Order: sequence, then structure tokens, then C-alpha cells
Amino acid sequence: MAASLISAHPFGDAYAAKAGTLSAGARIDALRKVARTEIGRGLPGPKNEEWRFTPLNALSRVGFIPAAAADDVDVTVVPSDVPRFERAIRVVLVNGTFQPDLSDKISGIDIRPLSDSDAALGQTATANLPLVALNTAFFANGLAISAKGHQPLAVHIVSIGASGAEPVAFHPRVLVTTAPGAELTLIESHVGLPGQPYFANPVTEILIAEDARVHRYVTVTEDCDAFHIATTGVTVAARGCFAAFHLGLGGSRGEGTVRQEIHARVEGEGAQVHLNGAYAIGGGVHHDFTTVIDHVAGGALSKQMFKGVLDGKSHGVYQGRVRVAENAQQTDARQLHRALFLTAGPSVDVKPELEIAADDVQCAHGATTGSLDPDHLFFLAARGLDPETARMLLVEGFLADALEQIGDAHVREVFGRQVAGWLQRRGGAS
Amino acid sequence: MVAVPQTKDTVRDIEQYKYGFVTDIETERAPKGLNEDIIRFISAKKEEPAWMLEWRLKAYRHWLTLADEEPTWAKLHYPKIDYQDSYYYAAPKQQAKYESLDQVDPKLLETYKKLGIPLLEQQMLAGVAVDAVFDSVSVATTYKKKLQELGVIFSPISQAVKTHPELVQKYLGSVVPYSDNFYATLNCAVFTDGSFVYIPKGLRCPMELSTYFRINEKNTGQFERTLIIADEGSYVSYLEGCTAPQRDENQLHAAVVELVALDNSEIKYSTVQNWYPGDENGKGGIYNFVTKRAACRGKNSKVMWTQVETGSAITWKYPSCILQGEGSSGEFYSVAITNNHQQADTGTKMIHIGKNTRSKIISKGISAGKSSNTYRGLVRMQGKADKARNYTQCDSLLIGDKCSANTVPYIESRNPTAQTEHEATTSKISEDQLFYCLQRGMTQEEAVSLIVNGFCKEVLQTLPMEFAVEAQKLVAISLEGSVG
Repeated sequence: MAASLISAHPFGDAYAAKAGTLSAGARIDALRKVARTEIGRGLPGPKNEEWRFTPLNALSRVGFIPAAAADDVDVTVVPSDVPRFERAIRVVLVNGTFQPDLSDKISGIDIRPLSDSDAALGQTATANLPLVALNTAFFANGLAISAKGHQPLAVHIVSIGASGAEPVAFHPRVLVTTAPGAELTLIESHVGLPGQPYFANPVTEILIAEDARVHRYVTVTEDCDAFHIATTGVTVAARGCFAAFHLGLGGSRGEGTVRQEIHARVEGEGAQVHLNGAYAIGGGVHHDFTTVIDHVAGGALSKQMFKGVLDGKSHGVYQGRVRVAENAQQTDARQLHRALFLTAGPSVDVKPELEIAADDVQCAHGATTGSLDPDHLFFLAARGLDPETARMLLVEGFLADALEQIGDAHVREVFGRQVAGWLQRRGGAS
Repeated sequence: MVAVPQTKDTVRDIEQYKYGFVTDIETERAPKGLNEDIIRFISAKKEEPAWMLEWRLKAYRHWLTLADEEPTWAKLHYPKIDYQDSYYYAAPKQQAKYESLDQVDPKLLETYKKLGIPLLEQQMLAGVAVDAVFDSVSVATTYKKKLQELGVIFSPISQAVKTHPELVQKYLGSVVPYSDNFYATLNCAVFTDGSFVYIPKGLRCPMELSTYFRINEKNTGQFERTLIIADEGSYVSYLEGCTAPQRDENQLHAAVVELVALDNSEIKYSTVQNWYPGDENGKGGIYNFVTKRAACRGKNSKVMWTQVETGSAITWKYPSCILQGEGSSGEFYSVAITNNHQQADTGTKMIHIGKNTRSKIISKGISAGKSSNTYRGLVRMQGKADKARNYTQCDSLLIGDKCSANTVPYIESRNPTAQTEHEATTSKISEDQLFYCLQRGMTQEEAVSLIVNGFCKEVLQTLPMEFAVEAQKLVAISLEGSVG
């Protein structure tokens, strides 16, 4: 439907001309061609059901230029608030481009620039998703990570967004492939520098082979007026496991728009998907978690828990869809979203969907919204806590429940500190 | 105004049609298709005042602009409807189809027997000619008289337009405006009849409306329009539909129901819908596109929707509540059963506007055969809905691996003090439950009926008693042949 697309957007021919020749081989060129056609039709508008809570009108009005065409962006250090993780190799991208000088020396793991020989590219994130099409059309260079056996070192990708005099757009692409039985931990920190708005459009594809495990921990803390629309496509083969935790924090410095969209396809029997997340936002931040889990094989498990804390005039969105195909018998799918309001002003839109075509399944979802229970506050006040401390304690407790889903104790601790930092900043602001 | 040639042509056309009209009025049906003349024809047949015709025409003209806006978002698949290929008016006179029950399809009679429907009602429902002086008529008349004494207005809407124009004009279209949606707009233009109910201040209506009248109800046609107004402090329970399968040849139904609840009033609206669902192969069956909405305008007003949906090939129906009055509450209880190739996309909308408003949604979807059953609901807490509360529970039961159950809830909250809770589950009849029942000597069908009735209990309990008993039997009948 024409009304559901925004045809006037900044990613037309002029943008393509500035992006230069991105030819990388016959296969990628063919993918790009399909993607360009999709982009030519337009970006999703407010009448598009998948984007009704996060319409891209504001994005479409910014005159972005490709990051490669901006010669006045110079990032020489990694911002100090980006945490260091133990036993992890840091890989730094600035506006989507790999920075060897800012990164650790890569050893012990196979990380290469993405090339035409990466046959898995475009398999799990396809151009029928408009923002994946945009990424495919314009990604300048990407990373291919392959894991074999147990990888003792985690890969920590730090993606820094920064604009010069003009707003820039960049489209980082990461492809993760695993050999059967492999185990890999991927940590991502998405941060931004203040200044002109920018648009980060990362796409990550993760292919999990039989018996392989991928742990992924993502933080999006781009506390500036940026657009961060990230899409992840995952496929999980038999007995494989994908365990992810996404954290979104923002609101003290800017009014960014964040969407973290994850599509996971459960393709093999006995596979598992654990998809969890938390967000704490204030100011005018818009944060959207969109998940689609497709169960196409039986005997598999998917569990989702998302929790959000909303302050200021922020807007939280959770759209989660679980599809169970006819033959995916004995699927166990759970989904939960809980939102907590801290003030009058924020809004939240939730849409947890179930589409079930198999009868021998257990599927459930739950969703709640509300504010802190006055009884709980009274309980703490009666024990001598001042109201603000009591509130912070309860909010921390609310989020801790979600953070507990993080399997790695060290990552959990670092994420916990980031959440505590957000609460402190919030406390200081009020 | 100067009479340009175009105007002259138009006048001539109208005159010609006028001539044709007279003959048409004498016939049972208006010509096929939909245009302004058909609407004028319907209005003339109903002897409506000018304002009513104007309203119909306004709706029709708006409907013409909606050609691209026929809803496509529901999980329903059916061939595109040709709106010019239907009759929009058939005289309400029911003609007897059969001389006696012996001529009626034995399958239908078997169903009536299972539902425990009295013989007389069976004859009415199957379309058998019935002697004019039968009991129910006098019963109905007695009750009508009593209602009149109490000040209750309960009449066909076409009659109310004439007898109580001030009430109809004030409230008609005030809950579902003529521009509301594709099907509702169509209904505004062509509705043929329906019920009008007004309960005066402070009156608790002493009987369930329509229970005693249902067998006397004429075929109100495919575009039914119902308007119920509960004045301050009043209470009414209204029953719509019938548990028995009805003979109905109209394929497209687009009804509109509007409820208005003023201060401290309560409306309980119960529906049992069992229209022809099509055969085992999905051929035929009713397309049911209904817009039902209640405006809880008054303080502490209350509306309760209960629906048992077992019939129709396609169900598109979302009985909603606009909770405007402070402390008002809306409840929605639904059992939707789909079997064979039936498709249902049904649910509710609870729009919380006023303070301390509350809503409760209990939806039970049962899919069997190759059917598709979708719950679609919206709970919206607007900025001023302080301390509003909602509780939603949607459970789906799947019988067989060729059907599907979908849940699509929308929760939109703009108020920090408002609380929403939503939970949904999907399950099947467990082998253990079946085994337990079979072991105690029940047949497979009895066992399924027992288990499914247990699953729906919370909803069926909200139905008026005699209706609930029939509904329980209906649940069992709808699922016949789905197991084993």
C-alpha cells in the first residue's frame, strides 16, 4: 500500500552518488540491486503495521550524507564511558568503519573484512525488511566473524557514531557464522558523540550451527539526538542456542530514536532462543524492542523477558511476535514485557503477538504496565529510607530481575553498573 | 439556480425512476446493487423522515470515498466482495418455506433436538408456517404491555424513528459515527431494521429483553442496527441472537450496535451467534462484519459484553467500550469457536478516558479442523485516565494440527498511574484429561464437550441462565467431528 511508505527520504540517487562505488563482487552486487529497488519504493511510514509505533518520518526529513563522504569526522579515542570487558578483544568501528588503531590486536579468533565469498550473507536478514534493504544497499565494509570450537575470548565490538558539520548515515554489517558445536560470546557497545544527529543502521546476521552456542550482549547508550535502527537476523540449527541480552539506556543528553529489532528462526529440533532485554529511558527518547521468533522445527524453546523503566517524556515500545509453524510440535514459547513509569509524561505501546498453527505446544505471553506500588514505597519509608532512595531501590530491583537473565557474571556486573549510572544521573537530574 | 442541461437530465432521470419505484414497492425486493436510489427506496419503504434519509445519503456518499479502505488488516482470507452484486432490501415478510417439520432437513432437526429447543420454536426457526394464534404471541403482547407501563421503549428501530425521533436523532451515530469504518458506514446507508431500547431513569428492567421475543423476531435482514440507551441509574440485560442455527440466505452481514450508558446505569449485552458457517469444505457461510461499541458516558456506568461466537464463515467483530465517565467500567467475555474452514478475527477495544475506569477482558478461543481463530484487542489508557485498571486474559485451545490460534493484543498506556495486565496462553486438550473422562465411560465427544465447557466456564457463567444452558450444548455441537 502506497500510504504505508514514505517515498521522500534521503537515501535516493544523490545519496548513492555520494556513497561512491561499493562494488564488492558479483554476489553482493546482486543483493545490492534487489535492495536498491526495495529502497526506491520508500521507507516504512506510520501506516505500516510493523512500524506504527516507530514511524520514520523524522528520520526521512534529515538530509543525511554517507559517512564515507564526510571528511570532517575525526575520532581518535574511544569515549571513556565505554566499559572494558575481561577476556574480550575490542574491535572499534567509527561510523561503521573498522579502526585498527583504536582496536586490540586480533588474534585467536577469525575476524575478517566481509567479502563476496561469504555465502551466508543476506540469508538471515533479507531485503524484505526495509532497513535491512537500506543496509544492504549501502554498507561500505563489514566484518565476518567465524567461530570454531569454544572461543575463550569474547569479541567486543565498539561502534561509535559521530557526525561532522553534516548529519551522516552509516550501515555497519556483521556476519557471524559458527561451526557445529562452536561457542562464541559477542559483546556490542553502541555509543555516540554529541553534535549533529547521525543515523546508525547496523545489521547483524548470526548463523548458529548444530550444537553451537552464541551469547550476545548489546548495549545501546547513544545518548544524543541520533537514530539507531538495528536489525539482527538469527538462525538456530538443531540443539543450537542463542542467548542474547539487549540493554538500552538514554535520555540525559539527547532525544534519540532507538529500535532494536531481532528476528530469530528456530530451524532445528531442540534449539533454544533466550532473548532478553531492559531499557531505562528519559527525556524525549524513543526506544523500541521488536522481536520476531519463528518456530519452524519442533521440540524447541524460546524465552523472552523485557523490562522497561520510563521517565521524562520518553516513549517505550515492545512488539514481540512468536510464530509456531504447523510442524513445530512441542514448542515451548514464553514472552513477557513489563513497563514501569517513573513520572507522568512517558508513554508505552506494547503488542505481544502469538501465531500458533501447531496444537501440541505451550505458548504464553504476559504484559504489564504501571507505576511503583505505593505500599512498597511506604514499606521502605517506614524503615527510614527517604522517598527518592526508596524509589531508586525499587527501580533497581525491577530491572535487576531482567539483568539476572545475563548468563555471564562479569557482563552482568558491568551492565548492572551501567544501569546504576543511569539511575544516578536520573537522581541528579530530578 | 439556473437549470443547466445537466440538472434537467437529472430531474428527468429521477422522474423516470419514480415511475419504476411504484412497481418496485409492490415487489418483495429492491433491484440488485447499491446506489442513491436504492437508499431512497429503503428510506421510503420505512416511511422515514427527511433527516434520516439525509443521514443515510451522507453515509453512502462517504462510503463511496472508502473504496480503498475496506479493512485488510484482519487475519481473514476471502474473495473480494462485489457490493453491487447483492440485494440491499428485501421485504421483511417471512414466507413459509415448508408446510410441516417433516419436510425440513433431518440434520437441522437433530441439532434442534440436541439443543433442547421446543417444537414450536423449531418450526419458527426452520421457516415452517406456524398458526398465527400460538402461545408466544400472547405472551409477548403481555410483556410488551408491562414494559410500556414502566416507560421502557422497546421497538424496532424503524418504528422508533417515527415514534421517538428526538431520542433516535440524539443518539443514533453518536457512538459509531457514520464515518467510523467501511462496514459501519455501509450499514448507516442501508440498514433495514434492528432494535431500539430506552430504559428510563432509575428503572431496573424486570426482564431480559428479547428472550421472550426472539421467536417472534422477523428476519431483520443483513444490515441490522441496534441502539440501546440506559438512562441514569437504570439496568437492562439484552439478548441477541439465538443458539439455534438459523435459516438465512444472506451472505453478507454488516450490523452496527450502539450502547449508551448514562450515570450509574448498567447494560448487559449477550450474544449467541450461530449463523451458517459453511460446509465442511468451507463452501458458503455467512460473512459477519459487525461494529459494536458502547459509550460509558456517565459516572460509574457499566457495560458488559458477552459473546458466544460459533457460527459464520468469517467473523470480524470487536465489541468495544469507550470508558468516558469517571469510575465507569467495561467487561468483555468471549468464547469464539471455529471449526472446519471457519475464520474468526474477534476481540475488543477498551478505551480508558476517565479517571478510575476499569476494564476486564476474558477471551477464550477454540480452534478445530482447518480453522483460524484470532483474538485482536486494544487497551488504551489515555493521559487523563488516572488510576485506571485493565486485566486481560486470552486463552486459546487448539484441537488438531491443521488449525491456528493467534493473539494480537495492543496495549497503549499514556498514564503512569494506570495499570494494565495482560496474559495469554495456548494449549491443547491433554491426553490425560481425555483418558480420565474416557475411563469413566464417557464418549470421546462427551469428553471433549466437558473439557471445552470447563475451558469456557468463566465466560458462559456470565450469560443469563437459560441462555447459558443452551450455549453449553452449542459448544459441544460446534465441535462435533473435530476429535478422533
